[in-house]
Amino acid sequence: MKITKVAKAGTLESNDILIMVSPKDRGIIELDIESIVMQQFGEVIEQVILHKVQEMGVEGVSIKAQDRGALDYTIAARVETALNRAI
Amino acid sequence: MVYAAQVTKVNLKDIGEREEVETFLREFGLILDGDVDYTCVIRDEEPSPQFSLKQRAPIVATCSKAKNVLKCFAIAHDLRGEGMAATLVTALIDRLFREGIHHYFVYTNPCQVKIFSALGFKLIHQNQAVALLENGIYDIRQHLEELKTTYDIGTAERAALVMNCNPFTLGHQFLIEEAAHNHREVLVFIVEEDRSLFPFAARLALVAEGTKHLPNVKVIPSGEYIISSATFPAYFLREEGERLQAYAELDASIFGKYFCSSFQILKRYVGEEPYCPVTKAYNETLKKVLPIYGVELEEIPRKPFADEPISASRVRSLLREGEAANLINLLPEVTLKFLDTSLGREIVEKIQQTHSPH
Repeated sequence: MKITKVAKAGTLESNDILIMVSPKDRGIIELDIESIVMQQFGEVIEQVILHKVQEMGVEGVSIKAQDRGALDYTIAARVETALNRAI
Repeated sequence: MVYAAQVTKVNLKDIGEREEVETFLREFGLILDGDVDYTCVIRDEEPSPQFSLKQRAPIVATCSKAKNVLKCFAIAHDLRGEGMAATLVTALIDRLFREGIHHYFVYTNPCQVKIFSALGFKLIHQNQAVALLENGIYDIRQHLEELKTTYDIGTAERAALVMNCNPFTLGHQFLIEEAAHNHREVLVFIVEEDRSLFPFAARLALVAEGTKHLPNVKVIPSGEYIISSATFPAYFLREEGERLQAYAELDASIFGKYFCSSFQILKRYVGEEPYCPVTKAYNETLKKVLPIYGVELEEIPRKPFADEPISASRVRSLLREGEAANLINLLPEVTLKFLDTSLGREIVEKIQQTHSPH
Protein backbone atom coordinates (compact mmCIF):
# COMPACT_ATOMS: atom_id res chain seq x y z
CA MET A 1 0.00 0.00 0.00
CA LYS A 2 1.39 3.37 -0.99
CA ILE A 3 0.91 6.55 1.04
CA THR A 4 0.25 9.44 -1.31
CA LYS A 5 -0.84 12.30 0.91
CA VAL A 6 -0.81 13.76 4.39
CA ALA A 7 -3.63 12.63 6.67
CA LYS A 8 -4.49 12.37 10.33
CA ALA A 9 -6.85 10.60 12.72
CA GLY A 10 -7.62 10.96 16.40
CA THR A 11 -7.66 13.88 18.80
CA LEU A 12 -5.62 15.44 21.59
CA GLU A 13 -8.25 14.55 24.19
CA SER A 14 -7.32 12.45 27.21
CA ASN A 15 -7.23 8.69 26.46
CA ASP A 16 -6.87 9.31 22.74
CA ILE A 17 -3.98 9.59 20.31
CA LEU A 18 -3.44 11.93 17.35
CA ILE A 19 -1.78 10.19 14.42
CA MET A 20 -0.38 12.18 11.49
CA VAL A 21 1.00 10.33 8.49
CA SER A 22 2.84 11.65 5.44
CA PRO A 23 4.55 10.07 2.43
CA LYS A 24 8.23 9.11 2.59
CA ASP A 25 10.22 7.64 -0.26
CA ARG A 26 12.56 4.69 -0.54
CA GLY A 27 10.45 2.39 1.58
CA ILE A 28 11.36 4.14 4.81
CA ILE A 29 9.15 3.81 7.88
CA GLU A 30 9.75 6.77 10.15
CA LEU A 31 8.09 6.88 13.55
CA ASP A 32 8.05 9.69 16.06
CA ILE A 33 6.14 9.11 19.29
CA GLU A 34 5.34 11.61 22.00
CA SER A 35 3.43 10.31 24.97
CA ILE A 36 2.54 11.31 28.49
CA VAL A 37 3.27 7.69 29.42
CA MET A 38 6.42 7.32 27.28
CA GLN A 39 8.47 5.87 30.10
CA GLN A 40 5.96 3.19 31.01
CA PHE A 41 4.42 2.32 27.64
CA GLY A 42 6.63 3.85 24.93
CA GLU A 43 7.75 0.46 23.62
CA VAL A 44 4.24 -1.00 23.60
CA ILE A 45 2.92 2.01 21.65
CA GLU A 46 5.71 1.61 19.12
CA GLN A 47 4.95 -2.11 18.70
CA VAL A 48 1.22 -1.53 18.25
CA ILE A 49 1.83 1.13 15.58
CA LEU A 50 4.48 -0.83 13.67
CA HIS A 51 2.39 -3.99 13.81
CA LYS A 52 -0.54 -2.15 12.22
CA VAL A 53 1.72 -0.65 9.55
CA GLN A 54 3.05 -4.10 8.64
CA GLU A 55 -0.39 -5.69 8.74
CA MET A 56 -1.62 -3.13 6.21
CA GLY A 57 1.48 -3.60 4.07
CA VAL A 58 2.41 0.07 4.09
CA GLU A 59 5.85 1.15 2.96
CA GLY A 60 7.33 4.61 2.76
CA VAL A 61 5.60 6.54 5.50
CA SER A 62 6.39 9.01 8.22
CA ILE A 63 4.18 8.67 11.29
CA LYS A 64 3.90 11.20 14.05
CA ALA A 65 2.00 10.04 17.11
CA GLN A 66 0.93 12.36 19.91
CA ASP A 67 -0.40 10.11 22.62
CA ARG A 68 -2.56 11.19 25.52
CA GLY A 69 -2.82 7.81 27.19
CA ALA A 70 -4.73 5.83 24.56
CA LEU A 71 -5.37 2.10 24.98
CA ASP A 72 -3.85 -0.37 22.52
CA TYR A 73 -6.95 -0.86 20.39
CA THR A 74 -7.52 2.89 20.20
CA ILE A 75 -3.99 3.32 18.93
CA ALA A 76 -4.42 0.56 16.33
CA ALA A 77 -7.74 2.02 15.16
CA ARG A 78 -6.36 5.55 14.83
CA VAL A 79 -3.32 4.33 12.88
CA GLU A 80 -5.52 2.29 10.54
CA THR A 81 -7.85 5.22 9.87
CA ALA A 82 -5.01 7.67 9.30
CA LEU A 83 -3.29 5.31 6.85
CA ASN A 84 -6.51 4.63 4.98
CA ARG A 85 -7.09 8.35 4.62
CA ALA A 86 -3.57 8.82 3.27
CA ILE A 87 -3.74 6.33 0.39
CA MET B 1 -19.96 22.42 34.17
CA VAL B 2 -19.66 21.64 30.49
CA TYR B 3 -20.07 17.98 29.57
CA ALA B 4 -18.73 16.70 26.25
CA ALA B 5 -17.95 20.19 25.07
CA GLN B 6 -19.29 21.06 21.63
CA VAL B 7 -17.08 23.22 19.47
CA THR B 8 -18.89 25.55 17.10
CA LYS B 9 -17.57 27.71 14.32
CA VAL B 10 -18.07 31.47 14.54
CA ASN B 11 -19.30 33.28 11.48
CA LEU B 12 -16.75 36.10 11.42
CA LYS B 13 -18.80 38.02 8.89
CA ASP B 14 -21.69 38.27 11.35
CA ILE B 15 -21.08 41.43 13.35
CA GLY B 16 -23.08 40.15 16.33
CA GLU B 17 -21.16 36.88 16.60
CA ARG B 18 -17.86 38.63 16.11
CA GLU B 19 -18.62 41.14 18.84
CA GLU B 20 -19.55 38.33 21.20
CA VAL B 21 -16.08 36.78 20.78
CA GLU B 22 -14.44 40.19 21.13
CA THR B 23 -16.28 40.83 24.38
CA PHE B 24 -15.25 37.45 25.75
CA LEU B 25 -11.59 38.00 24.78
CA ARG B 26 -11.58 41.45 26.36
CA GLU B 27 -12.04 39.83 29.80
CA PHE B 28 -8.59 38.30 29.28
CA GLY B 29 -6.99 41.45 27.96
CA LEU B 30 -6.99 40.04 24.42
CA ILE B 31 -8.29 41.30 21.11
CA LEU B 32 -9.49 39.42 18.05
CA ASP B 33 -6.63 40.15 15.64
CA GLY B 34 -7.56 41.59 12.28
CA ASP B 35 -5.89 38.79 10.29
CA VAL B 36 -7.89 35.98 11.94
CA ASP B 37 -9.57 33.78 9.31
CA TYR B 38 -11.22 31.13 11.50
CA THR B 39 -12.62 31.23 15.02
CA CYS B 40 -14.34 28.57 17.07
CA VAL B 41 -15.96 28.67 20.51
CA ILE B 42 -17.26 26.37 23.21
CA ARG B 43 -20.50 27.51 24.85
CA ASP B 44 -21.83 26.86 28.31
CA GLU B 45 -24.29 24.01 27.96
CA GLU B 46 -26.06 24.22 31.27
CA PRO B 47 -29.69 25.00 30.53
CA SER B 48 -30.35 28.27 32.21
CA PRO B 49 -33.70 29.97 32.53
CA GLN B 50 -32.16 33.37 32.02
CA PHE B 51 -31.43 32.56 28.38
CA SER B 52 -34.40 32.36 26.14
CA LEU B 53 -34.34 29.80 23.33
CA LYS B 54 -33.41 32.44 20.83
CA GLN B 55 -30.42 33.62 22.77
CA ARG B 56 -27.27 31.54 22.67
CA ALA B 57 -25.57 30.32 25.82
CA PRO B 58 -22.48 32.36 26.74
CA ILE B 59 -19.01 31.55 25.38
CA VAL B 60 -16.72 29.78 27.83
CA ALA B 61 -13.70 29.16 25.61
CA THR B 62 -12.38 30.28 22.22
CA CYS B 63 -9.47 29.90 19.84
CA SER B 64 -8.74 31.37 16.40
CA LYS B 65 -6.22 31.04 13.62
CA ALA B 66 -4.69 33.26 10.98
CA LYS B 67 -3.47 31.01 8.16
CA ASN B 68 -1.10 28.62 9.97
CA VAL B 69 -0.89 30.47 13.28
CA LEU B 70 -3.16 29.70 16.24
CA LYS B 71 -4.01 32.78 18.29
CA CYS B 72 -6.57 34.64 20.42
CA PHE B 73 -6.89 31.71 22.77
CA ALA B 74 -8.89 32.02 26.01
CA ILE B 75 -10.70 29.73 28.46
CA ALA B 76 -13.00 30.86 31.29
CA HIS B 77 -11.13 30.73 34.61
CA ASP B 78 -13.52 28.30 36.29
CA LEU B 79 -13.24 25.80 33.43
CA ARG B 80 -9.47 25.48 33.30
CA GLY B 81 -8.11 21.97 33.78
CA GLU B 82 -11.18 20.38 32.16
CA GLY B 83 -9.43 19.53 28.91
CA MET B 84 -10.95 22.45 27.00
CA ALA B 85 -7.60 23.38 25.49
CA ALA B 86 -7.26 19.90 23.97
CA THR B 87 -10.77 20.10 22.52
CA LEU B 88 -10.21 23.52 20.99
CA VAL B 89 -6.78 22.76 19.59
CA THR B 90 -8.07 19.50 18.08
CA ALA B 91 -10.86 21.44 16.36
CA LEU B 92 -8.32 23.91 14.97
CA ILE B 93 -6.04 21.10 13.74
CA ASP B 94 -9.04 19.53 11.96
CA ARG B 95 -9.64 22.82 10.23
CA LEU B 96 -5.95 23.28 9.33
CA PHE B 97 -5.76 19.82 7.76
CA ARG B 98 -8.92 20.51 5.80
CA GLU B 99 -7.18 23.59 4.40
CA GLY B 100 -4.14 21.47 3.53
CA ILE B 101 -1.97 23.03 6.25
CA HIS B 102 0.04 20.33 8.03
CA HIS B 103 2.42 22.42 10.05
CA TYR B 104 1.39 25.24 12.35
CA PHE B 105 2.49 27.65 15.04
CA VAL B 106 1.20 29.09 18.28
CA TYR B 107 2.12 32.59 19.26
CA THR B 108 1.47 33.04 22.95
CA ASN B 109 2.34 34.56 26.25
CA PRO B 110 5.38 32.82 27.84
CA CYS B 111 3.24 31.78 30.83
CA GLN B 112 1.01 29.68 28.53
CA VAL B 113 3.86 27.62 27.10
CA LYS B 114 3.10 24.73 29.47
CA ILE B 115 -0.46 24.31 28.20
CA PHE B 116 0.69 24.00 24.60
CA SER B 117 3.71 21.80 25.34
CA ALA B 118 1.32 19.38 26.98
CA LEU B 119 -0.58 19.30 23.67
CA GLY B 120 2.50 18.30 21.70
CA PHE B 121 3.70 21.75 20.65
CA LYS B 122 7.45 22.29 20.68
CA LEU B 123 8.95 25.54 21.86
CA ILE B 124 11.06 27.25 19.20
CA HIS B 125 11.99 30.32 21.21
CA GLN B 126 10.65 32.58 23.91
CA ASN B 127 11.56 35.95 25.37
CA GLN B 128 9.96 38.01 28.10
CA ALA B 129 7.01 39.06 25.98
CA VAL B 130 6.23 36.24 23.54
CA ALA B 131 6.76 32.56 22.91
CA LEU B 132 6.59 30.76 19.57
CA LEU B 133 5.78 27.05 19.45
CA GLU B 134 5.20 24.71 16.54
CA ASN B 135 3.57 21.38 15.80
CA GLY B 136 2.72 19.29 12.77
CA ILE B 137 4.39 16.87 10.42
CA TYR B 138 7.83 18.49 10.60
CA ASP B 139 9.77 20.89 12.81
CA ILE B 140 12.51 23.49 12.45
CA ARG B 141 15.35 20.97 12.75
CA GLN B 142 13.92 18.80 9.99
CA HIS B 143 13.38 21.93 7.88
CA LEU B 144 17.04 22.92 8.28
CA GLU B 145 18.23 19.41 7.43
CA GLU B 146 16.16 19.51 4.28
CA LEU B 147 17.58 22.89 3.24
CA LYS B 148 21.06 21.51 3.78
CA THR B 149 20.45 18.66 1.35
CA THR B 150 18.42 20.62 -1.20
CA TYR B 151 20.91 23.46 -1.48
CA ASP B 152 24.00 21.37 -0.82
CA ILE B 153 25.10 23.50 2.11
CA GLY B 154 28.41 22.08 3.27
CA THR B 155 30.43 22.65 6.41
CA ALA B 156 32.45 25.66 5.26
CA GLU B 157 31.93 28.96 7.03
CA ARG B 158 29.70 31.46 5.30
CA ALA B 159 27.74 34.72 5.42
CA ALA B 160 24.02 35.29 4.97
CA LEU B 161 21.53 37.95 3.96
CA VAL B 162 17.78 38.06 4.33
CA MET B 163 16.01 40.19 1.75
CA ASN B 164 12.53 40.90 0.54
CA CYS B 165 13.68 42.41 -2.79
CA ASN B 166 10.39 44.06 -3.64
CA PRO B 167 11.70 44.44 -6.34
CA PHE B 168 15.38 43.50 -6.78
CA THR B 169 17.44 46.71 -7.11
CA LEU B 170 21.05 47.63 -7.84
CA GLY B 171 21.28 48.24 -4.09
CA HIS B 172 20.46 44.61 -3.31
CA GLN B 173 22.83 43.43 -5.98
CA PHE B 174 25.61 45.61 -4.58
CA LEU B 175 25.06 44.26 -1.06
CA ILE B 176 25.18 40.64 -2.25
CA GLU B 177 28.30 41.37 -4.31
CA GLU B 178 29.99 42.87 -1.25
CA ALA B 179 29.23 39.77 0.82
CA ALA B 180 30.25 37.44 -2.02
CA HIS B 181 33.57 39.25 -2.31
CA ASN B 182 34.36 38.77 1.38
CA HIS B 183 33.21 35.18 1.94
CA ARG B 184 33.65 31.77 0.40
CA GLU B 185 29.93 31.19 0.35
CA VAL B 186 26.91 33.43 0.77
CA LEU B 187 23.32 32.37 1.43
CA VAL B 188 20.63 34.82 0.35
CA PHE B 189 17.25 34.12 1.94
CA ILE B 190 14.34 35.68 0.08
CA VAL B 191 11.29 36.42 2.24
CA GLU B 192 8.74 33.84 1.19
CA GLU B 193 5.65 35.41 2.73
CA ASP B 194 3.51 36.60 -0.15
CA ARG B 195 2.42 39.96 1.20
CA SER B 196 4.48 42.19 -1.03
CA LEU B 197 3.47 43.87 -4.27
CA PHE B 198 5.95 41.73 -6.17
CA PRO B 199 5.01 38.07 -5.70
CA PHE B 200 7.50 35.71 -4.08
CA ALA B 201 8.12 33.61 -7.19
CA ALA B 202 9.04 36.72 -9.18
CA ARG B 203 11.27 38.13 -6.43
CA LEU B 204 13.12 34.83 -6.07
CA ALA B 205 13.61 34.45 -9.82
CA LEU B 206 14.94 38.00 -10.18
CA VAL B 207 17.52 37.56 -7.44
CA ALA B 208 18.60 34.17 -8.77
CA GLU B 209 19.02 35.61 -12.25
CA GLY B 210 20.66 38.80 -11.01
CA THR B 211 23.32 36.94 -8.99
CA LYS B 212 24.18 34.37 -11.66
CA HIS B 213 27.57 35.99 -12.11
CA LEU B 214 28.44 35.17 -8.49
CA PRO B 215 29.13 31.42 -8.30
CA ASN B 216 29.45 31.39 -4.52
CA VAL B 217 25.94 32.78 -3.89
CA LYS B 218 22.96 30.52 -3.15
CA VAL B 219 19.47 31.98 -3.31
CA ILE B 220 17.06 30.21 -0.94
CA PRO B 221 13.39 30.72 0.00
CA SER B 222 13.25 31.96 3.60
CA GLY B 223 10.54 29.49 4.59
CA GLU B 224 8.31 29.83 7.61
CA TYR B 225 11.07 30.58 10.10
CA ILE B 226 12.58 33.87 8.85
CA ILE B 227 10.46 37.04 8.66
CA SER B 228 7.22 35.12 8.17
CA SER B 229 3.80 35.92 9.56
CA ALA B 230 4.62 33.36 12.26
CA THR B 231 8.00 34.67 13.37
CA PHE B 232 7.50 38.34 12.64
CA PRO B 233 3.89 39.41 12.07
CA ALA B 234 4.72 43.01 12.98
CA TYR B 235 6.86 43.31 9.86
CA PHE B 236 3.81 42.83 7.69
CA LEU B 237 1.40 44.75 9.91
CA ARG B 238 3.90 47.63 10.12
CA GLU B 239 3.48 47.76 13.86
CA GLU B 240 5.85 49.77 16.00
CA GLY B 241 6.62 49.96 19.69
CA GLU B 242 6.78 47.16 22.22
CA ARG B 243 5.18 44.47 20.12
CA LEU B 244 7.57 45.16 17.27
CA GLN B 245 10.49 44.88 19.67
CA ALA B 246 9.34 41.50 20.98
CA TYR B 247 8.72 40.10 17.50
CA ALA B 248 12.00 41.41 16.11
CA GLU B 249 13.87 39.88 19.03
CA LEU B 250 12.15 36.54 18.42
CA ASP B 251 12.94 36.54 14.70
CA ALA B 252 16.57 37.52 15.26
CA SER B 253 17.00 34.86 17.95
CA ILE B 254 15.56 32.11 15.76
CA PHE B 255 17.98 33.10 13.01
CA GLY B 256 20.95 33.03 15.37
CA LYS B 257 19.96 29.98 17.38
CA TYR B 258 18.94 27.72 14.50
CA PHE B 259 20.07 28.98 11.10
CA CYS B 260 23.49 30.35 12.02
CA SER B 261 24.44 27.35 14.12
CA SER B 262 23.35 24.72 11.59
CA PHE B 263 24.77 26.50 8.55
CA GLN B 264 27.95 27.92 10.14
CA ILE B 265 26.89 31.47 9.33
CA LEU B 266 29.45 33.81 10.86
CA LYS B 267 28.14 37.09 9.57
CA ARG B 268 24.85 38.54 8.47
CA TYR B 269 24.82 41.54 6.16
CA VAL B 270 22.14 44.20 6.14
CA GLY B 271 21.82 47.42 4.24
CA GLU B 272 21.52 50.63 6.22
CA GLU B 273 17.86 51.53 6.43
CA PRO B 274 17.24 55.20 5.78
CA TYR B 275 13.44 55.11 5.38
CA CYS B 276 11.39 52.40 7.02
CA PRO B 277 11.21 52.64 10.85
CA VAL B 278 10.22 48.97 11.17
CA THR B 279 13.23 47.71 9.21
CA LYS B 280 15.46 50.17 11.06
CA ALA B 281 14.31 48.85 14.43
CA TYR B 282 14.78 45.30 13.13
CA ASN B 283 18.40 46.06 12.16
CA GLU B 284 19.04 47.52 15.61
CA THR B 285 17.66 44.35 17.20
CA LEU B 286 19.81 42.13 14.98
CA LYS B 287 22.84 44.11 16.13
CA LYS B 288 22.00 43.30 19.73
CA VAL B 289 20.81 39.70 19.39
CA LEU B 290 23.10 38.03 16.83
CA PRO B 291 26.33 38.47 18.87
CA ILE B 292 24.69 36.37 21.61
CA TYR B 293 24.89 33.48 19.15
CA GLY B 294 28.41 34.36 18.03
CA VAL B 295 27.30 35.99 14.81
CA GLU B 296 28.50 39.36 13.58
CA LEU B 297 26.20 41.88 11.94
CA GLU B 298 27.64 44.05 9.22
CA GLU B 299 25.65 47.09 8.23
CA ILE B 300 26.68 48.34 4.82
CA PRO B 301 25.83 51.88 3.71
CA ARG B 302 23.39 51.85 0.82
CA LYS B 303 24.65 52.28 -2.68
CA PRO B 304 23.57 55.78 -3.70
CA PHE B 305 22.40 57.21 -6.97
CA ALA B 306 22.22 60.98 -7.36
CA ASP B 307 23.09 61.36 -3.65
CA GLU B 308 20.09 59.34 -2.56
CA PRO B 309 20.30 55.74 -1.39
CA ILE B 310 18.87 53.16 -3.76
CA SER B 311 16.01 51.30 -2.17
CA ALA B 312 13.06 49.20 -3.29
CA SER B 313 10.64 51.70 -1.74
CA ARG B 314 12.20 54.48 -3.83
CA VAL B 315 11.68 52.29 -6.90
CA ARG B 316 8.06 51.67 -5.97
CA SER B 317 7.33 55.34 -5.49
CA LEU B 318 8.87 56.11 -8.89
CA LEU B 319 6.69 53.41 -10.42
CA ARG B 320 3.68 54.86 -8.64
CA GLU B 321 4.39 58.31 -10.01
CA GLY B 322 4.91 56.87 -13.47
CA GLU B 323 8.52 58.04 -13.70
CA ALA B 324 9.83 54.78 -15.10
CA ALA B 325 12.55 56.54 -17.10
CA ASN B 326 14.57 57.17 -13.94
CA LEU B 327 14.59 53.48 -13.02
CA ILE B 328 17.46 52.61 -15.32
CA ASN B 329 19.90 53.90 -12.68
CA LEU B 330 18.27 52.01 -9.81
CA LEU B 331 17.48 48.58 -11.23
CA PRO B 332 19.57 45.81 -12.71
CA GLU B 333 18.74 44.65 -16.20
CA VAL B 334 16.82 41.57 -15.02
CA THR B 335 14.34 43.68 -13.09
CA LEU B 336 13.95 46.21 -15.93
CA LYS B 337 13.21 43.34 -18.30
CA PHE B 338 10.73 41.84 -15.85
CA LEU B 339 8.83 45.13 -15.55
CA ASP B 340 8.31 44.97 -19.28
CA THR B 341 6.64 41.54 -19.19
CA SER B 342 2.87 41.21 -18.90
CA LEU B 343 3.12 40.15 -15.24
CA GLY B 344 5.48 43.06 -14.58
CA ARG B 345 3.10 45.57 -16.15
CA GLU B 346 0.24 44.12 -14.14
CA ILE B 347 2.20 44.68 -10.90
CA VAL B 348 3.09 48.25 -11.88
CA GLU B 349 -0.60 48.93 -12.44
CA LYS B 350 -1.37 47.50 -9.01
CA ILE B 351 1.31 49.71 -7.44
CA GLN B 352 -0.25 52.76 -9.03
CA GLN B 353 -3.63 51.87 -7.59
CA THR B 354 -2.59 51.14 -4.00
CA HIS B 355 -0.70 52.88 -1.25
CA SER B 356 0.65 49.73 0.35
CA PRO B 357 4.05 50.33 1.95
CA HIS B 358 5.13 46.99 0.48
